Amino acid sequence: MILKPTLKDLRTIGYYLGRVITGLGFTMLIPLFFGLLRGEFNPVLDFTITLEITLLLGLFLSKSCFTQEDLNWMQGMIVVSLSWLAAMFLGAVPLYLSGHWKSYLDACFDSMSGFATTGLTLVQDLDHLSMAHNLWRHLIMFIGGQGVVIIALSFFVKGSAGAFRMYVGEARDERIMPNVVNTSRFIWIVSLVFLALGTLSLGLAGIYGGMKPGNAFFHGACVFMAAFDTGGFAPQSQSILYYHNFLFEVVTISIMILGAINFKLHYHLWMVNRREIYKNIETRTLFITIMVTFFIAALGLKQLGSYPGALSLFRKGFYQLISGHTGTGFQTIYPQQFMQDWSPLALVGVIIAMGLGGAVCSTTGAIKMLRIGLIYKAMQEDIKRIILPPRAIVVKKYHHIKVLFLEDKQVRPALLITLAYLLLYGLGAIVGMLFGYPFLDSLFESTSAAANVGLSCGITSAAMPSALKVTYILQMWAGRLEFMSVLTLVGFVAAAVKGR
Amino acid sequence: MKVKTFVKPVLGISTEILYTIAIMLAAFLLCLLLTVFK
Repeated sequence: MILKPTLKDLRTIGYYLGRVITGLGFTMLIPLFFGLLRGEFNPVLDFTITLEITLLLGLFLSKSCFTQEDLNWMQGMIVVSLSWLAAMFLGAVPLYLSGHWKSYLDACFDSMSGFATTGLTLVQDLDHLSMAHNLWRHLIMFIGGQGVVIIALSFFVKGSAGAFRMYVGEARDERIMPNVVNTSRFIWIVSLVFLALGTLSLGLAGIYGGMKPGNAFFHGACVFMAAFDTGGFAPQSQSILYYHNFLFEVVTISIMILGAINFKLHYHLWMVNRREIYKNIETRTLFITIMVTFFIAALGLKQLGSYPGALSLFRKGFYQLISGHTGTGFQTIYPQQFMQDWSPLALVGVIIAMGLGGAVCSTTGAIKMLRIGLIYKAMQEDIKRIILPPRAIVVKKYHHIKVLFLEDKQVRPALLITLAYLLLYGLGAIVGMLFGYPFLDSLFESTSAAANVGLSCGITSAAMPSALKVTYILQMWAGRLEFMSVLTLVGFVAAAVKGR
Repeated sequence: MKVKTFVKPVLGISTEILYTIAIMLAAFLLCLLLTVFK
């Protein structure tokens, strides 16, 4: 029997949703003040309107639903999934008002793509977008990468059990510190330290490439936010190809890999033991899968002889591969080149890399390294069980911050989530094929959306069917939240309709 | 004590950057091998 949600449930959800929306509203002050400084008054108006709508909605919900009750698991999950939808709808308003998106749906697509750190975009004439709007596009990636709810946890919600439930609902199941609010703050510290280092390095690389200092550091900050949060929006329509700068490419590769590392591991390396990087199951798996998938892609590229030199193979082949593997989506080639210059084998290499992703509790999407590592270890364990005598006791261990024993309770969820991702990649590809796109193109774009990557082979454009845009939005949303909170919302709605 | 507070994170960040450089070097080596052995 399914129980109908009570008024108390709705009240608690409404209150915490209001707090998250209020937190989101305050982040709009950053592009607003930036626009004022730059003298971009139309964008300032766009952000003032959106800020008012957001704060009014947030305050209305938190006042009208005021409660001192803490969140239970179901409510926490629903607050998270609704927060992400609210963030998409509200974050799209200034984008739509800019006039650079053909419809509100297109602006919502980019807004979800930004918050989910995907990087697919439907923007028109990006090269003439105001700097305040451009900053907002990159800022939503930074916010989404940290987690929309992390903002509320950091500043607006006290460290309660409910806060932890929201934290888990946002696909971060690892607590770095005993208190979840301190964990959120540490995530911010890591991001801000790398923001300073990354902006400086990219700014200097830009100056070295001939950019003016002000412009170089603005681009550096924007590109850093998109790279570290494995988002993939770029300030220019040609993505990283715009810079034609090898140094810039090397720095972005470094930042993308740093963004794909577990925040818990960052903490351990910074505060406890830096040798963990050699032993950790995720860093080891990441290294191996990068090399294996790049080998597949490089063999595919060799078939067509698209990039005959080692340096061009690195700059064009490896760059797209690492961008896909870390879930970033920066490109140093035009989208159409994937279909023209890349053989099917090379594309399969990139699709596998995109589908695997980075570490858990990082800003990447997709299946993730810990799960791949655990499944591999479980397979090894099962094969050993078959080979060894029946009386032999097989014990498998792995290193993730400390030595852990492999157990079925870890392998089962890893396999379930892997299966869910594979289904999501496949479903999106089927929808793409329904609209007449070839199989490989559809699978490439679907995996890119669901794994929150952002590489495009050319399907994503303002001209694509609206149903496909909605499909990709849903894929980005479900992929970023790792299904559980989205499925809880579906169950909640079903209970509201069918429950007693 | 205060120096130690800063040294550990700096060493940690350096280790992470070295890890990214190791990945890039390994990938470049693979590029070289693939272009040399045709």
